[in-house]
Amino acid sequence: MLHIKPILSSLMRSKSAPILLLLQIILSVAIVANASFIINERLSLMQRESGYAEDQILTFSVYNFDPAIDNIKQNEVDQLILRALPNVIDASYSNMLPLSGSGWMDRWVDSPNEDTAKSTPGFAFYLGNEHLLNVMGAKLIAGRNFSADEINTNLGDSGMLALVSQPLAKAFWGDESPLGKTMYQGDQTVTVVGVVDKLQGAWIDHENFEYSVIQNIDFGGSSSNKTYMVRALPEHIPALEEAIRKALNAENPNRVLDNFQTLTELKSLTYSNHRLMATVLSIMVVLLLLITALGLTGMVMFNIQRRTKQIGTRRALGANKRDIIQYFMVENYLICIVGGVIGGMLALVLGQQLMSLYSLPMVPMIYPIISVIGLLIVTTLAVIVPAAKAANISPAMATRSV
Amino acid sequence: MFFYYCDLAWRSIRKTPMLSMLMVLAISIGIGITITTLNVYKTMSYNPAGDRSEVINSVQLWSQGLDTWDDFISNITYMDAMNLRNNTELGLKAATYRTGLAMQSDNLKIEPVLQGVRVTDRDFFRIFSVPFVYGSYWDASVDLRPAYQVVISQKLNLRFFEGKNSVGKTVFLDRKPYQIVGVIDDWNPQPKYYDPLNGAFNDAEEIFIPFSLTGQEEFDVWGNTSGWKFEPMLTYNDRLTSEKVWIQFWTELNSEDEKQSLQGWLTRYVEQQRTIGRFTDTAKIPAEAVQISDIDKWLEDNDVVPKDNKILVGLSLLFLSVCLVNILGLLLTKFLKRAPEVGVRRAIGASREQIFSQYMVEVGMIGFIGGVVGLLWAWGSLTALHSYFAMEQSVTGLDASMWIITPLIAISTAVLAGVYPAWVVCRTKPSVYLKAQ
Repeated sequence: MLHIKPILSSLMRSKSAPILLLLQIILSVAIVANASFIINERLSLMQRESGYAEDQILTFSVYNFDPAIDNIKQNEVDQLILRALPNVIDASYSNMLPLSGSGWMDRWVDSPNEDTAKSTPGFAFYLGNEHLLNVMGAKLIAGRNFSADEINTNLGDSGMLALVSQPLAKAFWGDESPLGKTMYQGDQTVTVVGVVDKLQGAWIDHENFEYSVIQNIDFGGSSSNKTYMVRALPEHIPALEEAIRKALNAENPNRVLDNFQTLTELKSLTYSNHRLMATVLSIMVVLLLLITALGLTGMVMFNIQRRTKQIGTRRALGANKRDIIQYFMVENYLICIVGGVIGGMLALVLGQQLMSLYSLPMVPMIYPIISVIGLLIVTTLAVIVPAAKAANISPAMATRSV
Repeated sequence: MFFYYCDLAWRSIRKTPMLSMLMVLAISIGIGITITTLNVYKTMSYNPAGDRSEVINSVQLWSQGLDTWDDFISNITYMDAMNLRNNTELGLKAATYRTGLAMQSDNLKIEPVLQGVRVTDRDFFRIFSVPFVYGSYWDASVDLRPAYQVVISQKLNLRFFEGKNSVGKTVFLDRKPYQIVGVIDDWNPQPKYYDPLNGAFNDAEEIFIPFSLTGQEEFDVWGNTSGWKFEPMLTYNDRLTSEKVWIQFWTELNSEDEKQSLQGWLTRYVEQQRTIGRFTDTAKIPAEAVQISDIDKWLEDNDVVPKDNKILVGLSLLFLSVCLVNILGLLLTKFLKRAPEVGVRRAIGASREQIFSQYMVEVGMIGFIGGVVGLLWAWGSLTALHSYFAMEQSVTGLDASMWIITPLIAISTAVLAGVYPAWVVCRTKPSVYLKAQ
């Protein structure tokens, strides 16, 4: 019923236009498949749950430039001031900021004997006091948090305790509970006391992004440069920066307060490259489809003008309007499907190139298939208008110019 | 004749406004996207060292233990940096890292500023050709016996000393007095090739202090510190004696001989360090456990141009080729429609070459308009990149070379797309169309 044979033979007669169309579709499928794969990959990276109360956390840095300042004491005083501020839920020092792209990475081993010890994967190494967990808004799912009297101020202290993220616990201990396990860093021992559901690190593209540890060290006294996290309800955050500046500068003006950012802002900044890539590629795909559709419409219109006489003759010989529309549609689909198959293969080859050059994962088959389906829909829309116009050519046209 | 063809082309473009607009749209979007990605790529892959790229070299050492990193790390340890600084065979040499200090002057009315500070040796200024407005770098003796001397930027000089010659004056860094020995002119190489490790497009530091102060002043490190074994860092001295890497080392090598002699020195150095129990990963022979990178290699190794950017350039070139094929189809359509007209012209005596060049002029005109519009697209999208994605101004400013590259791409795209249709149409046989009339 589809009259594929006459359509094919008419395509073969004037080859150049259909070949161009074919070429365009092949290239489009290859581009759209790879682009949409990358877009999807980036979007799924961006949608990962962080485990933090992102919009409730305000972060900032303090730099005490006066050598006379006792950093350990100042750190304690500052945190008390922060926690006493109106609307502040909790506040804590942290040696690194989550999702920020910079921080500490470390690992433990499971025995003091260096030769036989098994090492954990590298993890984000948060140092903080008993308030840090609450400030982060992270969920403790087993064990306990540190208590106030367990907090150390130095890396060399004894009595090290740690909270580990669930993914890290799973990766190293499997189904066994990590609670109570003793781990080693050189001669120093660390006891795991709690498991946190989710606690992302600082490096969004690192394979160990979900592996994190909080250790019971308030390290804010170790240097003059430090970061704090303050938790408050989102509606109170905007006024908080001014309040913090005022309160801390009143206590001691010899310092620079800087980098006030909510965790949401920090995250958005860290992910901006991925967002950029997803946006640019999306725009590219849309424009590509638009250009292909417009080009196709233009060519079909021209074809119809050229074949006015032929169409009129067909109509005069008894073809109804549906037949005419069908003719153009089938012609389009033939080209699309052939182009789609070749383009799909090209997409996979291109994907393979990208994979080997930039260690991107392989493009799954589904992307070329979806791209071809998308292209079929777009070209249908592009062809249907001129085809309907062609169907309106009256049979009388066929005889007029003869 | 050329202007007559231009006139004809313009008439023809106006006669089919929709089709012409479609073609201009296709070519301009293709060019807009290509120029945008090319521009970002070009500015990112720019080598600020220019013809000194091969002269300026950094040193990396395979000082790590077994099963650590797969590649050379850009930084080296303090111990190695000190030993390299003491290598008298080298001409210009400088160890460097980044810290941050709060700067004040005698004038307490001026608020203190917290600034990124470059800790380095005097040769740094010569290796990287840093321009001075007043004074100069510190004396060679300062690199051996620490002194509180500082070089500041003209911007800070304006802020604290109203731009006057401040050499000899005192500023306070974290409350400690430092004597100004030099003021440098605006100097902000992009990418920040002397230290791309923490943001290759960050601004250059504006305060420079002697590396020799490191031991006594215990400056915080505002850069990467990486270690491969467990070493507690309880004191600053632990850092200085550790295997942790955090310092970059630069030197100037003016000839292949100088490079060979440094290579030889480093090889002997590795052998010597191995005998005292360092450089424990002996899988590499000593000569391969050292790496001397010129600026090209250094920028490449430090991924100054993100991979995403290369992918975008590739995809946008493919995109442009789709546009090209698209225009080719449309031009073929358009030209064939005018075959009867060409038949008449041929019959009256126009040669094939004339017909061909007439149509190529038309194609070139479409390409030109498309290029201009495409440049507008590119400018718009670069502005958008700057404002919505926090991309640095230096990367999103339209590179001067784009004024040449754009029309070149535009016209060549159009010509590529136009040759076949123009060739088809100029071969029109007059007789066919004359008969049909």
